[in-house]
Amino acid sequence: MGLLNQLKNKYSVVSIIGMAKNAGKTTALNYILEEAMDEGMCLGVTSTGRDGESTDLVTGTEKPRVYLEQGTIVSVPKGLYDLAEAGLEILRMTNYRTSLGRLMLCRVAESGYVQIAGPVATADQKKMCSEMKALGAEMIMIDGAVDRRSIAAPDASDAVILATGAVLSRNMKKVVQETVYVVSICSLPRLSHQRTRKLIEENRDKITLIADGRAKTLNLATGLGSGKFLQQEMSDETEYIYMPGAFTKSVISDMGNAELKKTHFVLKDPMKIFFDAVSWHQLIKKGTKVSVLENIKVAAVTVNPVSPAGYSFGHEDLREAVSKALPEIPVIDVRL
Amino acid sequence: MIKRLANVKTRTNTGFDHVMNEMGPQTPFGIKRLKEQKPFFPGEEASLRRELDRIGSLFDIAREDEKYISKISDIFMDMKDVEFTVERSKSSILTVVEIFEMKCLLLKMEQLSSLFEKQGKKIPDEFVLSDIRVLLDELDPRGDRLNTFYIYEEFSKKLADLRNEKRMLETGVRKSQKERREKLHREKGIMLTPKFDCVVSKSDEEAIKTFETAPELERSCQDIMSVTFQLVRTEKEIETIEKTEMLAFKIEEEEEKIREKLSKRVWAFQKEIRENCMRIGSFDLTLAKALYAIRHTCVKPEIIKDYAVYIKDGRQLQAEEILDSKDKEYMPVSISLDLGVTCITGANMGGKTVSLKMIGLTVLLAQYGYFVPCKSAKIGLSNFMQMLMGDSQSLERGLSSFGSEMEELKEIFDHCTERSLIMVDEIASGTNPAEGLALTKSVIDFLKEGPYISVITTHFDVGEGGGKVKNMQVTGLANADFTKLDRELRYANRKERIGIIGKYMDYRLSPAKEGKTIPKDAINIAKMLGIENEIIENAKKYLKGEKV
Repeated sequence: MGLLNQLKNKYSVVSIIGMAKNAGKTTALNYILEEAMDEGMCLGVTSTGRDGESTDLVTGTEKPRVYLEQGTIVSVPKGLYDLAEAGLEILRMTNYRTSLGRLMLCRVAESGYVQIAGPVATADQKKMCSEMKALGAEMIMIDGAVDRRSIAAPDASDAVILATGAVLSRNMKKVVQETVYVVSICSLPRLSHQRTRKLIEENRDKITLIADGRAKTLNLATGLGSGKFLQQEMSDETEYIYMPGAFTKSVISDMGNAELKKTHFVLKDPMKIFFDAVSWHQLIKKGTKVSVLENIKVAAVTVNPVSPAGYSFGHEDLREAVSKALPEIPVIDVRL
Repeated sequence: MIKRLANVKTRTNTGFDHVMNEMGPQTPFGIKRLKEQKPFFPGEEASLRRELDRIGSLFDIAREDEKYISKISDIFMDMKDVEFTVERSKSSILTVVEIFEMKCLLLKMEQLSSLFEKQGKKIPDEFVLSDIRVLLDELDPRGDRLNTFYIYEEFSKKLADLRNEKRMLETGVRKSQKERREKLHREKGIMLTPKFDCVVSKSDEEAIKTFETAPELERSCQDIMSVTFQLVRTEKEIETIEKTEMLAFKIEEEEEKIREKLSKRVWAFQKEIRENCMRIGSFDLTLAKALYAIRHTCVKPEIIKDYAVYIKDGRQLQAEEILDSKDKEYMPVSISLDLGVTCITGANMGGKTVSLKMIGLTVLLAQYGYFVPCKSAKIGLSNFMQMLMGDSQSLERGLSSFGSEMEELKEIFDHCTERSLIMVDEIASGTNPAEGLALTKSVIDFLKEGPYISVITTHFDVGEGGGKVKNMQVTGLANADFTKLDRELRYANRKERIGIIGKYMDYRLSPAKEGKTIPKDAINIAKMLGIENEIIENAKKYLKGEKV
């Protein structure tokens, strides 16, 4: 209990993102909403835009339907307004479009269930969050992506709550390992070298090699299959390699151990990393340094010991195991 | 058949369409008005003058009080066309979102009205809005004039009572459930989630047993590993929940009644709403015209009864914009046109085509009810106008430039009636000079006899055409200081050369002196643009009739 209390003084916008589908993201959101209810706190609730998922939204396979208490500020698309069970006072018609019509900011006048949706673009999400704050939301919860890999970095939020659960694997150890891995890449260090940062900011969308304080941009937008080119361009002086797109195994496949050891990769954000936990640890062990332009603050981890596949872990066991592996982060069992 | 003033090509070539794209009315009503706008024809001078006067009033207001205009702009922002909602209110019940949008629009109308009523602002009567305050009051039962909407309890006492009752019952159930959860925790040490359930691992047989035996709990679902228990609802709770469901149904009914009543009221005001939308549209477009005129220093044209066109210091806006972006100044051109043919001759690169476009643009703008880009203008209205430009080669239709020119010329002859403005740019320049000259001369002969104003640019020496043919000439490089010009050109690159020639060029028009032949500037210009000396010298020899 008291997760909200731990969050509310530190962050004003928090995204909830899932480690995988059915990791308990919506359960986690409901958990926090219930806490807010008990605390009498006015929350703003929105979600990451999912323009590709409108059919899902309509057929109901993955609709973030949540019970909202009176006073909550929420973003609802025009097309879903009449489907809401709650009474919603329309406060403002925004200019953000979704596949279900323009988004409206509403205040819950009668508690009940609401289907929420949010803006598609991160920049819009940011703007909308500040509009919600202006309307009185003390803290904003963003119902983030189902799968961490399906979105760009949650730029709009100050921190994330990571929802993990039994769905990841039947092996609890594996669940813990994967969770710890994601938390560890989220908190990768921000690139602190100011001069290099500036050089990268000038050309954010190109692969850039930095040697001796000078930038050389390659005419490649993604690192996929670019290993060979990278190797050709690298020299002994290369200090940093900036990769704007996905950071995958194929990027480093053509590099020798010696090269990997002295290379310092810079990524846009941790969500660009597409390694499995094991290969990632191997890479780090080789001495490769990785930093990001912006890292992600993990405010809390929620665990769901029940998998929809029909198995579950002992109800305290998973929480305890994750908590032990991540001592500095609050871990909450959403089923308890 | 709808009367047409000018075809699409003429509207595009003169730059009229470009100006329309820049007009930018803000509201959907204004945009609709712009799309549907029609030109004024001869006989409609009075209403055209009224339109221009309205622009004038807003022009003055905008010049005096920028803040006032930006307030209006704020109201215009995010305005929504409610036509569909109005139509639907006739026979259907509007949704909450529709009523919300209606309320927002009515609020904007009220705000606009109160701005119009401000002291000292002479808003033309045509824009004054009908009073819709009665309807707005009904959609705003709290009277706080906020642009929010909900089926507020203030709409009906019955709704307020129903909602209150439901709320009380719900809190009651939740309270009793919470109490029982607390009790369970206190007495048996069983912790339930805020949802009043609990997952127990099957391996924990003892726990399962305790849970099973607790009368307060029941199994809700289970999987291989665990069982979920939930709080059993008491009979009283079940009864209350059923009651709240009934209430929810009644609330929905009452809300629908209210929506139905409001929809009927909206329909009762449909005439006022629609009229106001029209007026906002006209106001928006007129204001856009006035603001455009201020941005581009345009003036109110004088609309005259006679058929003539006088333009003092006219500018072709598209060309001016291009020069502006290069930090260069546009040299305005004056011209007066009467019935008959005006031939414009002059140097290459002398701006003949731009001047022709300028004439077309000015006349079109005036006839569509816009201010015009010049110092002053007197314009008699035309029934038809067309511009023929020698750039209409059509590969698809297998026509050469000469072929399509002749086709367009035929179109002109087919359509031109009394009071037609015909503008022709270098006709027949794509064929042999002997026939080209002959053709040009005979076209001039034909046009000068008709009730038309014609302007023709040409390089041919068409000679004196008699009283109804006026020869005008681009001043060109006649007064330029060639020593200076040569010096500047000597070290210039290709791009700079064009700029330098432009700098020395005098684009203004003056009556051609009698007996003087067409200026021969082509070879000069070719030389300035860097053509080999040998070629230039030989060309000069050929011109004199010498053998090379």
